[in-house]
Amino acid sequence: MNKKPDLLSIQDLSISFGERKKKEVVHKISFSVKQGEILGVVGESGSGKSVTALSVLRLLAEGGEITNGCIWFDGMDLTKLSESEMVKIRGDEISMVFQEPMTSLNPVLTVGVQVEEMLLLHSKKTSEERKTAVYEMMREVGLKNPELIYSKYPHQLSGGMRQRIMIALAMICKPRLLIADEPTTALDVTIQAKILALLKELNQKHGTTILFISHDLTVVRNLCDRLIVLYDGQIVESGESRDIFQNPKEDYTKKLLAAAEIVHDSSLGRASITSSVSDAILEIKDLKVYYTESGKRIFQKKQRKEVVKGISLEVMQGESVGIVGESGCGKSTLAKAITGLISDIEGEILRKEQKPQMVFQDPYGSLNPSKRIGWLLEEPLKLQKGLSKQEREQRVEEILQKVNLPTEFKNRFPRDLSGGQRQRIAIARAMILHPKFVVLDEPVSALDVTVQAQVLELLKNLKQEFKLTYLFISHDMGVIHSMCDRVCVMYQGEIVERGRTEDVFQNPTHDYTKQLLSSVPK
Amino acid sequence: MGKQKNRLNFIVGISLVSFALLLVIVGIFYTPYDPNEMNVLAKNQAPSLSHLFGTDYMGRDILSRVMEGAFTTFFVGIATVIIGATIGSILGAVTGYFGGIVDEILMRINDAVASFPSILLALVFVSILGTGKYNVILALGILFIPSFARVIRSEFIIQKEMDYVKSASLLGASHIRIIFLHIFPNTKAILRSAITIGFNNAVLAEAGMSYLSLGVQPPDASLGRMLSESQTYLFGAPWMALAPGLMIVITVLGFSLLNEGGAWHE
Amino acid sequence: MKFYIKKLITLIITLLFVSFITFFAFQVIPGDSAVAKLGMDATEEQLFELRESMGLNDPMFVRYGRFLKNAITGDFGTSTQYNVSVGSLISERLPVTAWLAALSVLFMVVISLPLGLLCARKENGFLDRFLTFLSQTFMAVPPFFLGIIITLIFGIVLKWFIPGKFIPISQDFGGFLSYMVFPAFAVSIPKVAMLTKFLKTSLLRELSFDYVRTARSKGLKKKQIMTKHVLKNALIPVITFFGMLIADALAGSIVVEQVFNLPGMGRMLVTAIANRDFSVVSAAVLYIAGIVIIINFIVDMTYQKVDPRVRIS
Repeated sequence: MNKKPDLLSIQDLSISFGERKKKEVVHKISFSVKQGEILGVVGESGSGKSVTALSVLRLLAEGGEITNGCIWFDGMDLTKLSESEMVKIRGDEISMVFQEPMTSLNPVLTVGVQVEEMLLLHSKKTSEERKTAVYEMMREVGLKNPELIYSKYPHQLSGGMRQRIMIALAMICKPRLLIADEPTTALDVTIQAKILALLKELNQKHGTTILFISHDLTVVRNLCDRLIVLYDGQIVESGESRDIFQNPKEDYTKKLLAAAEIVHDSSLGRASITSSVSDAILEIKDLKVYYTESGKRIFQKKQRKEVVKGISLEVMQGESVGIVGESGCGKSTLAKAITGLISDIEGEILRKEQKPQMVFQDPYGSLNPSKRIGWLLEEPLKLQKGLSKQEREQRVEEILQKVNLPTEFKNRFPRDLSGGQRQRIAIARAMILHPKFVVLDEPVSALDVTVQAQVLELLKNLKQEFKLTYLFISHDMGVIHSMCDRVCVMYQGEIVERGRTEDVFQNPTHDYTKQLLSSVPK
Repeated sequence: MGKQKNRLNFIVGISLVSFALLLVIVGIFYTPYDPNEMNVLAKNQAPSLSHLFGTDYMGRDILSRVMEGAFTTFFVGIATVIIGATIGSILGAVTGYFGGIVDEILMRINDAVASFPSILLALVFVSILGTGKYNVILALGILFIPSFARVIRSEFIIQKEMDYVKSASLLGASHIRIIFLHIFPNTKAILRSAITIGFNNAVLAEAGMSYLSLGVQPPDASLGRMLSESQTYLFGAPWMALAPGLMIVITVLGFSLLNEGGAWHE
Repeated sequence: MKFYIKKLITLIITLLFVSFITFFAFQVIPGDSAVAKLGMDATEEQLFELRESMGLNDPMFVRYGRFLKNAITGDFGTSTQYNVSVGSLISERLPVTAWLAALSVLFMVVISLPLGLLCARKENGFLDRFLTFLSQTFMAVPPFFLGIIITLIFGIVLKWFIPGKFIPISQDFGGFLSYMVFPAFAVSIPKVAMLTKFLKTSLLRELSFDYVRTARSKGLKKKQIMTKHVLKNALIPVITFFGMLIADALAGSIVVEQVFNLPGMGRMLVTAIANRDFSVVSAAVLYIAGIVIIINFIVDMTYQKVDPRVRIS
């Protein structure tokens, strides 16, 4: 493989942003992509990986600029080309697939027209030939009934289908290089696996070189031949994918891998199952939860949908129960019903504690942006009443220490904090009243992987210290594996499989569970 | 770039508004002449040192009359906004937060009202209530309720779905606490801009109604009425029209620039 | 199809609602028109007879039904100030207002569409900043003041038209149009400013979306991206805004007719209010409101047609 020539070669590339005060975000990086290979570029948000990818086609957002270096593609320096020469390269020689297929497609044009436009731009085919080519390409990316799909609008398709359309669009002119910028991040794991397989297949069938950008090590592991690890605009490590996973050389790569490990490590939080099991803290019997779509017009009939379809569940004091499933399976709705945020339910919910506390997925949304951290943490105590101002202040400082944040944070606003710090505040707010039972709804999904590991650690520590019971909701099998004693797999509003985490992971019985587990790259 | 533009907007806006306010406030305590004092010897005089903006067809000092008219303008504008914003935002907050059938009915009425030209409705009101300063305030105030309600309601509908609201309700915060302590502070920017736009619309509507002689009535001075009186003398004494017209433009432009520049200020 | 029927029913309900409000406001609230007609010294018997002949003794819904029936057939009674039938007054006045509004809307579109595109093409360029400044200033000018200034500059200084000398359509259509240009400018210019700004913002918002980046990655030129992808998306919100603008143009006409001495619906309404001529007022209000509602209905329908995301299949 090493003998193959370079298709794309980047030398000393620097990229800056900002109109007046320029800030360099990529610092003199060099790497090359060989003909026919799949190269993965991995890094956390802010590492400069997407910016690098966009700069190849000169698609940087306003204010972004290549300040140094060359981008060699097939003997041409792309940085030296005029805009009109670039226009010919885009789509024809090099094409791109983006992260969010919904917003990346034009909402008012049919997807067929959008795919066909590529041929209109880069081929001399007749209208008849173009249609045939579009149908053929759609079939190739796994879309059945292309004639029907041709005249659909993006919003009428599912996320996976939309991304297939994006891939069809990018591949129809048979480009030599395909740049895929986080193409699976916005998708559910089972669909994620299928899209990855499709990319691999296209790579092998057409020999298309792929530059694959991702924040997720597990995703690139099986797909990519070689890897580049980016951190803060610099390459920290590069090499054969297998070598990097087995013998990471640099500290940052080790940290990244270790963080992924912690996420999968199961020794810490569990083991509590025998020590403190007593009676049930939560009992659910045949719970059905409904969601009513609010009609816009006054006489419009309202759609009352059954989202959770008869679930029974017991959570014992001191254990961690995981609910795992993909988006739309009803797991978040279940969480809201349990905490009492949704009242349109049938069946029984018996709670030992009046109201369990909840930690939400998005720490940007779960903290009131107009209040200071101190006020936010004090509020639960105020609502409890019976505590003096002094006692309340003391409790606030105590809990800040518990979540490893300095007490000075009291005077800051949520916007002054990083995502991880905000999530710590959200956890502190949920824990300050010392509840026994906490519902965690995707508490780490919005965070970078190294931060994820830290927050999970914190949750494990708090659990032991306060003798907490967790109901842990996640789409991520890895996270569930490391946090939970028992797991319930949810699919279309029902629990399809349940049991001790270890048992479910080793001997899954339901097809859906098997599918979920197989799509988690090991 | 955007920041700089906002800064410029803010500076020009605050200067214009300060100028207008200065004239109004000084006008409360001091005007160069009695605004209603007629002087047959000084009819239709062009601007001069003794009459900075000239005199009108009855020999009244235009500067003094503009100062008094601007006071009426501000008075009507502020009073209208107070009525519209207070009732409108409470209505919008409650309907947006709770939803339900009351919300739907109110919004249908709201939609119907909002699709009409506001000056038409204002004229309908005065044709029933009668003209005069307080009736204009009442008519415009009531008419502006829906627009405030609409803005605040749609903001509340977005905000109430946010996780911070759910988190507060899990901690046991009451609805009233959530509406006023949690959500309202987050509508500040939108409310501020609605208030400025509302004030400007009130100023323009009052001027229009008074111009049609269906708004503020003499002896209350009014910029709109001055403009309508000026029209007959446009050929010989155009300054009669320019001074009150520019006063309206300065006020409205000042507030709208201030609103645009507000983002910089924060 | 079901959707359109639903919309049509909503339209009818809204029209009924408005007609009832008008009926209530001008036939019920103003008080006993028998007393108004006969004066305070009329005997109880005379009053009763007159009420009976005017139908005032009937229950409210019967009176409303009669009002509605008359309104549909175009019979609004007689004007107390002119002593002619309200219907003939309106048929005389309506064309003037309709022409004024139509011309204003035409100016708005013809001027602001290219301006909006120009501004969006070079954000913060000289032209954009100049036009932004201009539009901000014009938004602050009341249409009637603009009318006075136009009269001053074009009528008195440049003498392009004779202020106040309206030429009826029947007399000289060309002369009528060339006179109408000036009031139409007074109505449209503040709205041109608004529409330009709205269009520019809408275009810039669309330009910031991901699909534009996709279009660029496909190898489309800047101009092609504008015409083939962005413009259609950007015009969708403008359609809704446009309905509001037409309503505003009608409202602007009410005042501007006064400035240019045009014998339209607006002036008729204003004099009728001043003279408490309620049959004229209710007819004028009903007409203007009805036109606004129907325009909004058409806008709503167009919107459904253009945006596939809300289209009902």
